[in-house]
Amino acid sequence: MANPISEVGRQTLEMLSSFGRVTLFASDVARNLFRPPVRFGRTLEAIYDLGVLSVVLIATSGFAVGAVLGLQGYTTLVRFGAEESLGAVVGLSLIRELGPVLTGLLVTGRAGSSVAAEIGTMVATEQLDGLRMMSVNPVHFVALPKALAMTLVMPLLSAIFTVCAIFGGYVVGVELLGLDGGTYLASLETSVDFREDVVGSILKAVIFGALVGIISTYRGYSSEPNAAGVSRATTSTVVIASVTILFSDYFITALWGV
Amino acid sequence: MSASANVTETIESHVTFDSIFLSYGTRDVFRDLACEMLARRVTVLMGASGAGKSTLLRMIGGLQRPDRGHISVAGQALQELDEPGLAKVRKRLGMLFQNGALLDSMTIFDNVALPLREHSSLTEAEIATAVRERLDAVGLEGVENLLPGELSGGMLRRAALARAIVEDPEILLCDEPFSGLDPPNVERIEALLTRLNRERGLTVIVTSHHMASSLRMGHRLVLLRNNTAISGTPEELATSDDSEIRDFLGADGVAYLKTLSSGGTSE
Repeated sequence: MANPISEVGRQTLEMLSSFGRVTLFASDVARNLFRPPVRFGRTLEAIYDLGVLSVVLIATSGFAVGAVLGLQGYTTLVRFGAEESLGAVVGLSLIRELGPVLTGLLVTGRAGSSVAAEIGTMVATEQLDGLRMMSVNPVHFVALPKALAMTLVMPLLSAIFTVCAIFGGYVVGVELLGLDGGTYLASLETSVDFREDVVGSILKAVIFGALVGIISTYRGYSSEPNAAGVSRATTSTVVIASVTILFSDYFITALWGV
Repeated sequence: MSASANVTETIESHVTFDSIFLSYGTRDVFRDLACEMLARRVTVLMGASGAGKSTLLRMIGGLQRPDRGHISVAGQALQELDEPGLAKVRKRLGMLFQNGALLDSMTIFDNVALPLREHSSLTEAEIATAVRERLDAVGLEGVENLLPGELSGGMLRRAALARAIVEDPEILLCDEPFSGLDPPNVERIEALLTRLNRERGLTVIVTSHHMASSLRMGHRLVLLRNNTAISGTPEELATSDDSEIRDFLGADGVAYLKTLSSGGTSE
């Protein structure tokens, strides 16, 4: 039986070495961003796959989350006679935290996993080796457009999520529970600061997008060339990217106050 | 006429392996392996499953590095090259992968055109002409707009061959080009490879389990066994006293090679 202490040491070293490999991969992707040719068509394709095809999921999820927030917020606030603050509660919690975080988690599940599976399958079927043999850099041709697209679409999807959620809160608070519509919107408008809250929210979403983009492309790129390897890459992308989003959210909030 | 009848031993070497060692964990794959592949000739890598045929082919393309040893491809020492250096060497190589390795999100036309779009300054019209010419050369018509998943195994292999030769490489590497194909498709691919070697002077290096095709095509055979390589012309192997070589070739193979060495035809 392995010594528990040496096992902890082994696991720690493995984790550090994984972190090092991801960092090297991320720097490789970043370097390739400035190398010609510009993969405009492939990036646009990835934006469509990762972003446009996620809109329905993001919009409906956003509406549902906003509706629940409206309901929970209203029933809590009404106890203190503060139901006119519903717009502020729903808006601030969505813009500052729930919008970017939940969008990040949803996009990880839908698009991040598919990126890892697609690149993993390309590894298993020697498509990346095929590119190398044609002197085409697979990081530049495959990983960069997807990572870049993920970084670009995340703030847009987060904005869609937040708007739909605020609308969901409005429908429940105003249409179902009888709060005045003007009060809801006025409370939202006066409490949300564009620079502090909205720009901070966009910044968070951009960081989450870059993280999910790098993690999903790396997991696919480094997967074992078989079906089990693709499966592991997909699962680990969802797990690692989700945990990374939650932890980085804490650090961004703690360090930058966003 | 036998392919091997044209071989002269003064032909320059295009690929050389020297003192190659490779192991996966405790399992040795190559131990002091040495062999060479001659320019403008067809070399067939043979051996049992797991003997390292595909690994050797991947080493020529720089996709895999040995633990120790020297590999020279067209005069370039691969062990001294970094990834950009390898990319330059790879421009002189074409590789046909076992499953084609075509990009499954792109049409056949775009797959074959990809190397030209990446490395040449040709116009789209010139690229289209070059792609059609290569697809014609491998006997494929009307498949330009199809995706790789819509082709049969034989057609897929030929489309991949068209991509491998679209930049007129000096060396063509083929990993199990006949596996999983029916006899007509095996003959078609074999004829294509033979024609590319004869008409364009390509150095062709093939890994294969398909004994009849290997013996028909190969000017030189490299047999991998016991972590090292034995190479020679088909005539040399046919007359070898080594029982392991004879066992591997089988009675039919030895008889066939003897027919070739005694001046018989390959048909």
